[in-house]
Amino acid sequence: MALRKMWKALRSSPVDTLYTWQNQRFLWVVMAVAMGGLVLIAHSFFQLYLYMAPCEQCVYIRFAMLIVAAGGVIGAINPKVLVLKVIGTIAAFTGSILGLMYSVKLDRIHRALHDADGLFGVQGCSTEPHFPLELPLAQWSPDWFKPTGDCGYDAPNVPDGVILDSVQQWFINMYAASDGWYLIPPLKFMNMAQACFLAFGLVFAVLVIMVVVWGIRVARGKPERTTA
Amino acid sequence: MRLAFLKNVVKGVFCAAFVAVTFPASAATEGTDYMVLEKPIPNADKTLIKVFSYDCPFCYKYDKRVTVPVVKKLEGIVKFEPYPLETKAKYGLQASRLFAVLMLKDGAKGVSLIDDNSLFKKAKMAYYEAYHDKKERWGGGENDFLKTGLDAVGMSRADFDAAVKDPKVEGMVQQWKVGYDIAKIQGIPAYVVNGKYLIYTKNIRSEDGLVDLIKELASK
Repeated sequence: MALRKMWKALRSSPVDTLYTWQNQRFLWVVMAVAMGGLVLIAHSFFQLYLYMAPCEQCVYIRFAMLIVAAGGVIGAINPKVLVLKVIGTIAAFTGSILGLMYSVKLDRIHRALHDADGLFGVQGCSTEPHFPLELPLAQWSPDWFKPTGDCGYDAPNVPDGVILDSVQQWFINMYAASDGWYLIPPLKFMNMAQACFLAFGLVFAVLVIMVVVWGIRVARGKPERTTA
Repeated sequence: MRLAFLKNVVKGVFCAAFVAVTFPASAATEGTDYMVLEKPIPNADKTLIKVFSYDCPFCYKYDKRVTVPVVKKLEGIVKFEPYPLETKAKYGLQASRLFAVLMLKDGAKGVSLIDDNSLFKKAKMAYYEAYHDKKERWGGGENDFLKTGLDAVGMSRADFDAAVKDPKVEGMVQQWKVGYDIAKIQGIPAYVVNGKYLIYTKNIRSEDGLVDLIKELASK
């Protein structure tokens, strides 16, 4: 019911509705939860439960997702406060742009390694991760940010002697059969890099729309409130 | 007005394409095709060093498709010297020691390191295949790991244990440690010409392009 109401409002006056939304918490919370949730799933489900080790670009993608999530949290504190909204937007833009770049690189590496003819024009594995601003994230939190997988390969690798439960075994068999992570593994449809590109692309597109709407409202002469 | 603009754009594109086709850039560009190492590898004139690790997917792919034809085309110009990287893989040190033993054996028999009869090459390819194709991780430890390479060349563990005591082996393993700083720059595989020119792998576009670049750098 609420969704129908929102959709109706969006159709009847898109600029005003989107402007109202960006000054409310829910969109910021959705962004933070979605991006933070993806990192959580990547770590706890794929890395720990299914033994799919993260590669160098994968830990960069996690970092970019957390920047977007941080932007969401900052915005959600109170989006009506201009400074919080600006910082939140800048953080989300930065994270999504970095994420798009890492995803493109990972996809190129993936294709170079999996295509019989592909090879040239790509730099593969780095021996040590280099995060923006040389942040030593891999030392601070190796479990989350130290690359332990090989670039372009994300199939599960179960250490010897581990006893798997039936659900674990089912998922591992599925990803092992497709030789890596795919959105739809049996069809090898959309690799991890492409799925991440889509997620960052969506964030970026929404941000652009929101900033445009914001600009229109400012141009119409509705000054921002600087305090809550 | 708009048509004239479009015509100019089309003309411009054709001119640029013509220039690109008729005058290919032949000179290697520092910063794009290669970089000069701050700390060059000593005594490496007329060499092509390749820093690699058995657990690196691109090293495997380059060794399957590129290394042999490129090194053959460079015979008499540069000497091919593979540098196993000790620090990356879990069994990097064991691999380096075994590779050193096998390279010495190849050298004593006068077998080239790119020859199919090279013991070094046989062991290296066995590790690549085990790690990347069979997803082997040698959960049984060091002995398990060494067995893969030793089985590939038909060498007993006792023979290896005796051969590894040769001081030359330790000397080679020590010499290869310079590969660590080089690997940190852009990752591996890392090709270094004359011990000082590190080739940017991402800008290698073809086998012949790599050969020409190495020839040019070797003559610098």
